[in-house]
Amino acid sequence: MNAAAPRDYRRFLARSSFIEMTARERARAILDTDTFRELLGPFDRIKSPWLPLQGIVAQADDGVVVARGTLDGHEALVAAIEGAYQGGSIGEVSGSKIAGALELALRDCEQGRPVWPLLLLETGGVRLQEANLGLAVIAEIHAAIVALRRYVPVVGVVAGTVGCFGGMSMAAALCSRLIVTRQARLGLNGPEVIEQEAGVAELDASDHALVWSLMGGEQRHAVGLADDLLEDDAVTIATAVRDAFGRGMPRVEHSAQVELFVERLAAIDPQPASHGNAASSLERRRTDLSAERRQSQHGRIWFEALTGGTGALACAARSVLVADVALGGEQARFVAVVPDANNRFARARQGEVGLDEAWALAVQVRRAVAAGRDGTRHPIVAVVDVPSQAYGMREEQLGVHLACAAAADAYASARLAGHPVIALLVGSAMSGAFLAHGYQANRILALDSPETMVHAMGKHAAARVTQRCVAELEELGEKIAPMAYDIHSYARLGMLHKLIGGVNADAPGPADVERVRMHLLAAIADARAGRPDLGSRLASPAARVMRAASIEVRRRLAEQWDAV
Amino acid sequence: MEKIELDYPARRAVPRRVHVGVVASGDLEVLLEPSPDRRAHVLINTSVDGFGVVWNSVLDRFFERFEGAASIEINDFGATPGTVLLRLEQAAEALRA
Repeated sequence: MNAAAPRDYRRFLARSSFIEMTARERARAILDTDTFRELLGPFDRIKSPWLPLQGIVAQADDGVVVARGTLDGHEALVAAIEGAYQGGSIGEVSGSKIAGALELALRDCEQGRPVWPLLLLETGGVRLQEANLGLAVIAEIHAAIVALRRYVPVVGVVAGTVGCFGGMSMAAALCSRLIVTRQARLGLNGPEVIEQEAGVAELDASDHALVWSLMGGEQRHAVGLADDLLEDDAVTIATAVRDAFGRGMPRVEHSAQVELFVERLAAIDPQPASHGNAASSLERRRTDLSAERRQSQHGRIWFEALTGGTGALACAARSVLVADVALGGEQARFVAVVPDANNRFARARQGEVGLDEAWALAVQVRRAVAAGRDGTRHPIVAVVDVPSQAYGMREEQLGVHLACAAAADAYASARLAGHPVIALLVGSAMSGAFLAHGYQANRILALDSPETMVHAMGKHAAARVTQRCVAELEELGEKIAPMAYDIHSYARLGMLHKLIGGVNADAPGPADVERVRMHLLAAIADARAGRPDLGSRLASPAARVMRAASIEVRRRLAEQWDAV
Repeated sequence: MEKIELDYPARRAVPRRVHVGVVASGDLEVLLEPSPDRRAHVLINTSVDGFGVVWNSVLDRFFERFEGAASIEINDFGATPGTVLLRLEQAAEALRA
């Protein structure tokens, strides 16, 4: 950029920096002049109910600006995240504002009144202080984007300088068209978290040139993980947003281009190019971490128990198990991600959802949908025991966020096509891995076992990121249910269809398997009787209490949706 | 986190609501709106405990010149007194605009 010709300085000075704007200013700058109408603004004062409980000052709009207006005269919806407040993190309220607004846009689209949805993303991902509710609303955002894309293109902008990480990077990858600047970063795991969890030998987060070469806007654009690379100028970005909507819906959405990316990935050598003696320190670090993260076999145990070792299908990744077996008089597809000590990606050997796993999930679930086109919408059961998404430099470079988005997209598309999708939690259901494998299900079942847990980040990692000690986190978890790790606390949030007690989760006998099979059948019937969305997660008596803010946000958004 | 409430006399009504700022590190947001009575009411939520005296002084200074009957909510994330006063002046200016 410093090689710019002298005459260019005037253009440079005439720019109005989009990056320097607040979320509200950004939304206003993009919409047609004087059409900005904010919904649930700061004076509505729907703040985070969870932050003040932890002694943290809450912002009156919880860091998300939702506005309606027009783009070239066309009805539009903007959801803009304020990156300066809590790192743009997604809490129950801020996330529900985005999800709820997208759901209302979807309703209008279904009724023949298309609304163009635009996401201005500036976020570190889940707000760890609201952990499980943040994760849940991100799954709802994913669901709404996939549903909306059937009617209108969904456009995302990542301008920087926060960037877009965690589950929201999957939301960015689900967008029909993604606009970035050179200052933007986009990745599933942020560089600091990778350094912290995988060691400085994996990635030195202070090496900005390296970080931007892995996940910066220019890199993302060059490899096709972003569509437009723009200068940091509000007018340029506003024009590109209009162009993006003007193009209409893409022939195939990015997150549905499964064959293309699987083919590309197959040609990749998973070892980092030149990393000196990093390999040995990487090994050491992995040994250190294995003390924290014991390799779980629950996924494999339950997959084999439920399928009886029959009907297994060939899968490109040995870490992904797939089988079509009879369940209640019809065929059902069971899918699990399991540890594989010989995984070609070193960071995905403990059962993590990495590149190969996520793309394989997308392939296998999409095949079930293709087979169901004859009208037989068979159930899909995700057997969930995933300790994490794969944290690694190679993973980020090759777009693990898109891979996970493709898996989430496949599950959501299966659900929308009428397949009952059931997630059966038999072990860890963590973070991006759960978002990719299971969180798009119509119904979620969980085994009542100390090994079953749901969370946005592993306990030790979350303690390091939030600068608390593990004991402090555990204490907070006792007071604040969404922060807890155990499945009973998760059940209190009201999103589980059933918590299955009385089974031996570690070594299931025939009676245990039969019991779980009965619950699967009941969940399948319930899913078929209901709508193909995630609405049931807000309808339970427990959700009405623990997710009161999620419900309130949606209610008041609906009230304000149409101008009076 | 500490909550501080302050009251000031007022001489004129405030015509509308104004919102400025962000609860970002070293910054704050100000929500200013017409108060239900003829006085000004300030509610401060601050992330830094033990600075009641400083808040008092900053708000006293602001209300030496500001006469609106406003309800003001301040959500503060460790702003310096100078920044607080600037944000309050910004809100007052937006009110006049």
